[in-house]
Amino acid sequence: MIPSWILDIFATIMLVVAAVSAARLVAARPWQRGARPAALTDIDVAHLLMGIAMAGQLATGLRTLPGGAWEVIFGVMTAWFAYRVVLDLRVSGVRALAGGHCAPHLIHAGAMLYMFAAVSAPAANGSGGSGGMGGMGGGMSGMGTLGLPFLAFLFALALVGYSIWDLDQLSGPGADGHYSLATARVTPADPVRAGVRAPAGPGPASSVAIAEPVSPAVVAEAPAVPPASAPADGTGVLAPWVATGCRIAMGVTMAFMLIIMI
Amino acid sequence: MSEIAARAPRGAWRSRLGAESEAARGAPDARRLLQLTLAGIWLLDGVLQYQAFMFSKGFSDMLAGTAAGNPGTVARPITWDATLVQHHLVLLNTVFATIQLLLGLGIAWRPTLRVALAASVAWSLGVWWFGEGLGMVLTGDVSPVNGAPGAVILYALLAVLLWPSDRPGRTAPFAAARATGATVARALWLVLWLSLAYFALLPGNRAPQALHDMIAGMEDGEPGWLAALDRGAASLVAHQGLAASVVLAVALAIVAVGVYLPAPYARATLVLAIVIAAVIWVFGEAFGEIMAGGATDPNSGPLLALLALAYWPARTVAAAPGRVAPVSVDDEGTAAS
Repeated sequence: MIPSWILDIFATIMLVVAAVSAARLVAARPWQRGARPAALTDIDVAHLLMGIAMAGQLATGLRTLPGGAWEVIFGVMTAWFAYRVVLDLRVSGVRALAGGHCAPHLIHAGAMLYMFAAVSAPAANGSGGSGGMGGMGGGMSGMGTLGLPFLAFLFALALVGYSIWDLDQLSGPGADGHYSLATARVTPADPVRAGVRAPAGPGPASSVAIAEPVSPAVVAEAPAVPPASAPADGTGVLAPWVATGCRIAMGVTMAFMLIIMI
Repeated sequence: MSEIAARAPRGAWRSRLGAESEAARGAPDARRLLQLTLAGIWLLDGVLQYQAFMFSKGFSDMLAGTAAGNPGTVARPITWDATLVQHHLVLLNTVFATIQLLLGLGIAWRPTLRVALAASVAWSLGVWWFGEGLGMVLTGDVSPVNGAPGAVILYALLAVLLWPSDRPGRTAPFAAARATGATVARALWLVLWLSLAYFALLPGNRAPQALHDMIAGMEDGEPGWLAALDRGAASLVAHQGLAASVVLAVALAIVAVGVYLPAPYARATLVLAIVIAAVIWVFGEAFGEIMAGGATDPNSGPLLALLALAYWPARTVAAAPGRVAPVSVDDEGTAAS
């Protein structure tokens, strides 16, 4: 059996994520006309709901709604983010899956739906696992066992992948401190402005770099980079990195839950 | 990065995160992508270590079991470690899991990349001895099909090969050669894959039913479809132990020398390496037995494939007139002009 205090720690982290997401929603005042794009509000709403639901799964005392209600909520959420990903795909192609911010939320919402839909009650004696390692499967976690364990494995891989990617991007080029923005020299006559990786130029880091052709979609997206004078999207609790941090915490916790419930 | 991005003030990156400008962010190069994959596997390891089984006596028994067959000097510390873990199971396993979680997060977070990679080498060596009995390579009871030479030693090898530094003066022919140089990297590859070929030919693996029994033994606790796959694969190699071992050893030897061949042939052998890794992972390792519960890692298949990708010959393209001449960004996010 997993010690309950470990589950409580993860539940606490999820409650913090939910609280931060609620604070972001309040601070953004999405109910005021033009206060904040709905595209960002839906993410905070998703984080808020997922945080509450996951805390309830991790710690019995924090359960709020019945499983069926959560299934409906996450079913709607999955459909919504699937719709958003389709829209992104039309604009950016498959890049939307790797770099877009709706695809991770689609995976999160889908994983939550799966967790509520496929879970079976934990065995009373704590040995109701899938039979592996002498019955030491998910039932031993005290959180129930998931059906279709391969799906749990795939979801866990995707969640881990997006969390790692988010962390890399958070600490990537352009970060504060001793990290600086990557700069580029652009030939004025050339219409290509962005999206080309280092073409084997001088310097050690580019020694095996590959120049990639610039797709029309990338060129079209280049103006989306805010100019120096553009106002930041948000500061304090509204800063985008706060939402990304919540997403990382949620992704790792969700992967943890999926694995221990196999 | 575009000129537009270059003018953005420090801190503007935060504004872009989660916003529509993601396409304009610096895309990681090949080595960084490999590091991130390694980070993901460490993170998965950390999560796996939190499973209920790891907090049971079964975990310390599993550690103690790796002492069997090893020389006394190797076995005694393993037994001591297993006893220690048994007495402080919850505390030590939580520490183990958290360390692995932090290694994954540390490799993904660029400022801590070097520290995390260095720590991962030390941790991997420790786990290889105390957790895997040196991959059982000294016992003679080891096979490339079930994880030789021990998955965790491959983490250490990858950390060394993907170290975020570059040897001055020469263009590396593949990502794994950037830190150590091509000669050392190729030698490490040769030793690894030749050793796998050698293990495939050990007497225990040449026995008529050896491979069959090994694959059939993976069925326990797996989902029905995977158990059926294992049964099918096992029946294919029934009573074919010698032939299967020889074929596998030849394929592994071809992979071993492949990195010394010209690029087109090298790519072909690397594809072969990835195919072998995939076959081993699915049929020999049952996806690391993760779905059976109680797995500590995804086993060697994904690591071997990742290693092969690190040796994939790089294309070097000269800068074309009129193209952007960006300042490259290394693995730790430092711009190099």
